[in-house]
Amino acid sequence: MLAQKLHLLRHNFLSFVSSRTGSDLTRRQYDVIVVGGGHAGTEAAAAAARLGAETLLITQKITTIGALSCNPSLGGVGKGQLVREVDALDGLCGRAGDWAGVHFSILNRSKGPAVWGPRAQLDRERYRQFIQSELLSTPRLTVLEGSVDELLVSQPNPEEPGHHRVTGIRLVDGSHPILSSSVVLTTGTFLSGSLFMGQTTSPGGRIGDVPSCAGLSYTLKETLGLRVGRLRTGTPPRIVKESVDLSLAQLQAPDKQPTPFSFLNTHTRCKPEEQLPCYLTHTTPGVETVVRESVHLNCHIQQDTKGPRYCPSIESRVLRFPGRRHQVWLEPEGLTSDLLYPQGLSMTMPPDLQLRLLREIPALHRAEIRTPGYGVQYDFVCPTQLTPSLQVKSTQGLFLAGQINGTTGYEEAAAQGLWAGVNAGRTALSLPPMALSRTQSYIGVLIDDLVGRGVTEPYRMFTSRAEFRTYLRPDNADLRLTPRGFEEVGCVTLRRYEKAVSVRDGLQEALMALQSVALSSTRWREKLGNISLSENKSTTLKCSIGSGLWLGHSDFQRHVPKPLLHCLGCVLRIVVLPCH
Amino acid sequence: MLPCTSWGLWRSAILTLKTFRASPSRRGLCIPTRAVCDAETIFALSSGHGRCGVAVVRVSGPASSMVLRNMAGLTQALPSPRTALLRRITDPQSKELLDRGLVLWFQGPHSFTGEDSAEFHIHGGPAVITAVLQALGSLEGVRPAEAGEFTRRAFHAGKLGLTEVEGLGDLIHAETEAQRRQALRQMDGELGRLYQDWGYRLKRCLAHVEAFIDFSEDELIEDGVLNQVDSSVRQLEAEIERHLKDERRGERLRSGVQVVIAGATNAGKSSLLNTLCQRPAAIVSPIAGTTRDIVETSLDIGGFPVLLSDTAGLRDSSDSVEREGVRRARQRVEQADLTLVVVDSTQLPPDPQLVPAFLQEHLSTVLPSPSPEAGMEAASDRVLLVLNKSDLVPEEQRERTEGELRESTGLPPACFLSCYTSTGLEDFLTVLQSRVKTLCGDPLSGAPSLTQARHRAHLQQSVQALIQYHQYRDQDLALAAEGVRLALTHLGRITGRVGAEEILDIIFRDFCIGK
Repeated sequence: MLAQKLHLLRHNFLSFVSSRTGSDLTRRQYDVIVVGGGHAGTEAAAAAARLGAETLLITQKITTIGALSCNPSLGGVGKGQLVREVDALDGLCGRAGDWAGVHFSILNRSKGPAVWGPRAQLDRERYRQFIQSELLSTPRLTVLEGSVDELLVSQPNPEEPGHHRVTGIRLVDGSHPILSSSVVLTTGTFLSGSLFMGQTTSPGGRIGDVPSCAGLSYTLKETLGLRVGRLRTGTPPRIVKESVDLSLAQLQAPDKQPTPFSFLNTHTRCKPEEQLPCYLTHTTPGVETVVRESVHLNCHIQQDTKGPRYCPSIESRVLRFPGRRHQVWLEPEGLTSDLLYPQGLSMTMPPDLQLRLLREIPALHRAEIRTPGYGVQYDFVCPTQLTPSLQVKSTQGLFLAGQINGTTGYEEAAAQGLWAGVNAGRTALSLPPMALSRTQSYIGVLIDDLVGRGVTEPYRMFTSRAEFRTYLRPDNADLRLTPRGFEEVGCVTLRRYEKAVSVRDGLQEALMALQSVALSSTRWREKLGNISLSENKSTTLKCSIGSGLWLGHSDFQRHVPKPLLHCLGCVLRIVVLPCH
Repeated sequence: MLPCTSWGLWRSAILTLKTFRASPSRRGLCIPTRAVCDAETIFALSSGHGRCGVAVVRVSGPASSMVLRNMAGLTQALPSPRTALLRRITDPQSKELLDRGLVLWFQGPHSFTGEDSAEFHIHGGPAVITAVLQALGSLEGVRPAEAGEFTRRAFHAGKLGLTEVEGLGDLIHAETEAQRRQALRQMDGELGRLYQDWGYRLKRCLAHVEAFIDFSEDELIEDGVLNQVDSSVRQLEAEIERHLKDERRGERLRSGVQVVIAGATNAGKSSLLNTLCQRPAAIVSPIAGTTRDIVETSLDIGGFPVLLSDTAGLRDSSDSVEREGVRRARQRVEQADLTLVVVDSTQLPPDPQLVPAFLQEHLSTVLPSPSPEAGMEAASDRVLLVLNKSDLVPEEQRERTEGELRESTGLPPACFLSCYTSTGLEDFLTVLQSRVKTLCGDPLSGAPSLTQARHRAHLQQSVQALIQYHQYRDQDLALAAEGVRLALTHLGRITGRVGAEEILDIIFRDFCIGK
């Protein structure tokens, strides 16, 4: 499957970009305009286009579309579920992860399939390439480089609720407005964003990018009267790999056999043996000393009087939980990158002190910093002002997704982006908006929490937020969402739908076939190892669809009863339920 | 019933609002869109209906001060809170004098409902009450309260927990001394505190399991977190089990001890009922089979509530109505907390030595066959033998029989009694009272007892769910956690719902979780 994707990745994709952007932009009207090319924006644009809407994606720099601006990883516990669900609805990030991953592991293997967390370290360059090539080959999707100056609004459609209606956007260059009945804003940390490092503050949403969105900010706050709040986040310094003494850190190997995120993929692009390791090390008391000594030089932390409940930076960890050892993960940034990403060391102190702090950790005693860590403060729109379709309640056709809604994380952004894109597309095509239930998906939990409860700290997905966690498993996301995504929502392509249906039918068939086999419990144990079975002379297995705990066992495939031979492909997803 | 599931929601909404008020200028705080305060002001007659010396009318809500000013002619300052003031109470429109009475002002949050409140203590004549209520109703933004609305507002304001509200309801309905004590104890929040404590500990268990599930792969979650949870869950299970094994004492005290009079026809069962309730509640006649249906009456025995039922005499009958009566009688005996088996003393064998065996035989025909787990001992705790018509038995024979019965084992206590002459009634009442007291327990000693079947059901389900935790603990931690979640949900039906945010609060407080 992945091999088929290869031909899509054009080596000359940048020249391809220009052919659909800039000067020869002839259209002045689109069904959907998406502002922002991050995780939310790319999923939104792709989803709207899949739905059949003529879509325009506007981003400041085409080269940063699909950039991983913080950690080089995707998935994890809770987040992995979101990636699987985005993939089940035919989103991009799962396949991009399979294409760009260099270290795959399933977290929580020992804790029950509902909370397994598929995760991967990514090659930044590959991820960007995949997303860009995917977007640029999506029919009905145009990408435009530019900065949005103003959101155009007019009187609302009186038949629907709301005080305003979106009619399009105007770019900074002052050219003609571009009209659209749906606009998705995914401006991330750029809404009144300011960067913090030590005692210096500068406007911006990401280092190296020009600040923007001043006009948008004004429209949202003043024209539309939306309530905004302020949140903060941060990123660690990037370390030169050569300068790290990895022999002093603990090697963390990936899974021997990488598990793809996407239901379409049977294997990842990275071969098992090509995977890169991660390293684990710990903070020392010296780190605590540097943090304490630098507090007065650290604007970001000083303002952090009423910060989030969790500890976003090493400063807050040390100050909140003193006298402890904290974990630091050294993660690869890609196959060809010479950098390491120190997960857990997000910091905002002055650069010279950042270096001092790093060097207090044995493995980093000679470490060199390529780019220092920094903090970002930005505005978010209180998400209780949104509907479950992620439309602003007061403004018809205006959708928000990603960090602008107060969330943190790529996966959370991608999930909202996809759903905002779906509804922007539906609105443009005069279809009624749709909501996902929290009983059926993590995306539903995420959106329901946001629009129902609001946020006071950056919202991150945890499995503990899902009341129906044991059903919302990563392994069944396709069965839960793909058929619905095709039949009702319209965001799933036929190819994926057919695959999901054949998997669903195959599983049913395999289940039935398996349950028709009756063997003595001794014989079953010979085949399956020590499982709990009722002690009848002849017994069938009690099975269900889940993540293969037993039947995926290679021994089983050797001893498989004959009626099951033709469903071997499916047995990986069937579990034998223990007898109680 | 109160909307218990919305409790957590309300409380968090209120808390958020308070935070907001404290720092109105702070950015980044979202106000929940749900409206929090009841804008309407309500009033009601809080004392009972009917003619009485003093009646109390209560007003609660933002317009209370306006009401007080208008009705009590207070042009200047309000009276100092919680101080009675004698005022002329007038109609706000016509200024007509309605009554002279005491008025009280309670400034929120220091009031029953947590809102601004006022009370009018007026004369209890129906016309005065009607006039005052009508005058109140004529004021703008003021309306009559719905049933239970004052309590609901107190509940929503966090003034009362759910078990306290239930205790308050019980206190208002308490008819006997022991019921009053139990209700007061519950209203004080003692039962609530017990359940809250379990809820808190369970919440912590869940938070630690959830922390282990969501964060142990990325963060340092100390070893042994799960082992601690194991032992906490086990301890909680044991404590709830112990609480459940109270033989339903608290519930019995709340709803009354079911005492059933049973026995053969014409043994004097209805006479016993009439003697105990001191009125001719049941028809008494020398004809066997007079009582056919159940005759019920409630009694206060030594401060404990008793629901006494007289039943049809047990015999085989060809009359279909009587057969139904006998069926009902047997059913009642099965559900009884205490059965008074009435025996006609004149039917006892003349040889006192044969009496114990005779009674044993007789009991087996009256009582249902004991279930295997409840042995004979438990059954004899639940039975009293009443040997009626003792006036027709020679004194000497009675004494010898009594002696014989004292010697014999395995029989429930037996009392000679004459409903006709009331001889032996005192002794019988003493025995009965001590039995009833044992069945209800002392409401003031020991741990507060379970008072409602609803609580029992949820606690039982809670324990069941905790068993699921152990069952799955080593196989599938997500399913094990589901057990704790379920247990907490059931407990939450008593103490108030627990949301995911509360669990996260504990996680982030107890563990250092990074981004």
